[in-house]
Amino acid sequence: MRRATATALIIALSATMLDGCGSSSDQAQRMTLAALGTPSPSPPRTSASSVTPRCTNVTASLRPPAVMPAPGAMAAGSFMAAIKKRGYLTAGVDQNTFLFAYFNPLDAHVEGFEIDILRQIASAIFGNNNPNDIHFAAVTTAERIPAVQQGSVDIVADAVTITCQRRQQVDFSTVYYGAQQKLLVPSNSSIGSDKDLAGKRVCATIGSTSIQTLRSVAPRAIPVGVQQRTDCLVRLQQGSVDAITSDDSILLGFKAQDPYTKIVGGSMASEPYGIAISKAHPDFVRFVNGVLAQMRADGAWQAIYAHWLGNVASPIPAPPQVQYVG
Amino acid sequence: MPDGVPFRTHNRSVFSPRFGLAMEGHQPVIPLGRASIGAPAAPARAWARERLTTTPGRLVLVSILVVAGAVCFGVIATAAERSRARAAQAARAQTEPLLAQAVTLYTALSDANASETTTFLTGGLEPQARRAHYLQDLRLASDSLTTLTREVGGSADARTAVATISEQLPLYTGLVEAARADNRQALPVGAAYLRQASALLTTTILPAADQLYTTEATRLGDDYGSGTATVALVVFALAAVAALTLLIGAQLYVARISRRVLNVPMLLATLVLAAVSVWTLVGLIAEQNALARAQRDGSDAVEVLSATRVLLSRAQSDESLTLVNRGSDETDPQDLSRVIGVLAPRGGLIGEVAALSKRTGTSRYADQLASDFDSYRAEVAQSASLENGGQPAPIGLAVSANSAAIAGRLSANLAQQSEAAETRFTGAAADATGSLSGLSLVIPIATVLAAALALLGIRQRLSEYR
Repeated sequence: MRRATATALIIALSATMLDGCGSSSDQAQRMTLAALGTPSPSPPRTSASSVTPRCTNVTASLRPPAVMPAPGAMAAGSFMAAIKKRGYLTAGVDQNTFLFAYFNPLDAHVEGFEIDILRQIASAIFGNNNPNDIHFAAVTTAERIPAVQQGSVDIVADAVTITCQRRQQVDFSTVYYGAQQKLLVPSNSSIGSDKDLAGKRVCATIGSTSIQTLRSVAPRAIPVGVQQRTDCLVRLQQGSVDAITSDDSILLGFKAQDPYTKIVGGSMASEPYGIAISKAHPDFVRFVNGVLAQMRADGAWQAIYAHWLGNVASPIPAPPQVQYVG
Repeated sequence: MPDGVPFRTHNRSVFSPRFGLAMEGHQPVIPLGRASIGAPAAPARAWARERLTTTPGRLVLVSILVVAGAVCFGVIATAAERSRARAAQAARAQTEPLLAQAVTLYTALSDANASETTTFLTGGLEPQARRAHYLQDLRLASDSLTTLTREVGGSADARTAVATISEQLPLYTGLVEAARADNRQALPVGAAYLRQASALLTTTILPAADQLYTTEATRLGDDYGSGTATVALVVFALAAVAALTLLIGAQLYVARISRRVLNVPMLLATLVLAAVSVWTLVGLIAEQNALARAQRDGSDAVEVLSATRVLLSRAQSDESLTLVNRGSDETDPQDLSRVIGVLAPRGGLIGEVAALSKRTGTSRYADQLASDFDSYRAEVAQSASLENGGQPAPIGLAVSANSAAIAGRLSANLAQQSEAAETRFTGAAADATGSLSGLSLVIPIATVLAAALALLGIRQRLSEYR
């Protein structure tokens, strides 16, 4: 009897100790922890296409009409007349490139050099200068060409370099800006050109042509890839890179935001920017080229350049050379 | 069995003080000389033989058994009561409050980020109210962090998480201020600083907050586990039944040899033991139910609601960052649609909130939450072009005032529900610890009393042999 009691006591005591290990199977808690653990998507690894078709006169574009229609008086049946009937032009643009095309947080408008060029085209179609004549849409780098092809926007002016490959997909206007790939460094930096980049950390956007050019021009530099262009300026200001390489259009915007930087060296690569338009609307391409020709002739191009980039780029260059076909 | 012997006459012939009996009774029985003749174990054997063969000996044995049984009962009852009380008390005063701190830290940091990214997009000068909101979130987060630093305990993961947040939070706020300064000069690099700040928060600080939250939630779950474990109840009930059986058996035995049906002290001992058993049993069951209620109606809801708050803040940040980054980064809208899917009123967290609210009679809030969430989802779909057939969204369509207002309503609703759930937890947890109050004193006292009474009763019979 006594031994039985003792045994029972031992069993009972160990059971009492053990019960602390029992865990509740709790649906709410499991669900909560699973929901909080929802992973963030990782940015895709974009890479420039390796197939580069060849073509001659890559920047040559359709000749403007002999006589440009008067502003606001578009020929019936033309694409411009359709736009005028709709009431607004849709344009795909960037919103992150200071001075070129950027969203100004103070007045919540997108503005810059490219935006003003688009406004000139709109005012040629509508015959007045109403800001509501253009609806701007932000397009990603990857979306620029498809947006034009699918017609979700009429026109894209978003630092699109004219290439043979792209010309198979869309039509381009004449060159509205001749960008050059250059270097931006802190104003006290010893880097003077792409010859001084050995062992230096150089920032560029992942998947951009700039980072490929950097690899071929300065193979001993250490490329630092970032998701977005402006991240490079943050890196430079924080001292985690020694230089930034990109198109001068972008570097000018960086320099304007940070007076303790300078643009150095010659052109590492030439990047002629064109306005992308669907191949379905050659009349619109000719019209846009006519507007651009007028702007070059009457000084509007120079005025827009001076307005946006005059403080950081001097002297003001001549408008880019144009080539026509057809 | 020598039951036929007339004990009373034999008893009367002997006079001796009552309480010296056991010693005096057995000492003379062991002849000193026998130890030197026989084996060393002989005296013990003789002692045992006397216990088993003589009536007084058996009575002494029974009293030893009864005392041992009472002690066992007392130990088991105390262990059961203590394990439950410790768990309930820990849940009430330690783990749940720490979980609440981890929740505050997590939601405040998420909300700060949502607030800051949205402010950036509203354009113009940042509204004073938004700035105040952000600063308030930072204060809440810092206070919680201080408490958690002090009380996080031995978990290495939790200590690492606290250290990470303490190190990174100043960097985060620094980046946010850099973004503000650039923003004040209308420089787009401000957006890049904001993105970096947000990335630091979402990739380093919030995962640490999540780690803390998980640690504290698991600890609370363990406390619930031991605070409601049926094993304690079953073991206690078995011990009580065994002790009472022993006591009743002893009484039957004593009644048989003494020919008296009633032994008042032993009866009292039985009643005391039965009473304390019932009290403990009722207390344990009440505690178990109250703690289960604290979990079901209180902290479960707190957990689901806080996860909903965190994910809603994440959706808001995503919504804003989608617009900040538009044109260059497509991961934010992807994350946004993912988070919206996890929140979903059907099968998602908001659905779980509704299910929980049915039990607590707060369906009104949950219904409002679900309908507000549906309008929020519609707004988000519009502004972030989730569902407009891939058409690029127009610039300048910042986070709409409408969407911000709905998000504000959602977070106010969630905060209100969390507070109500916290109150329900506090009430139920107080009930849980209250159900056991006094038992830690009553059990030992009652056990000792029962044992003493039983001894007294047996001794009365034993004294009749002297």
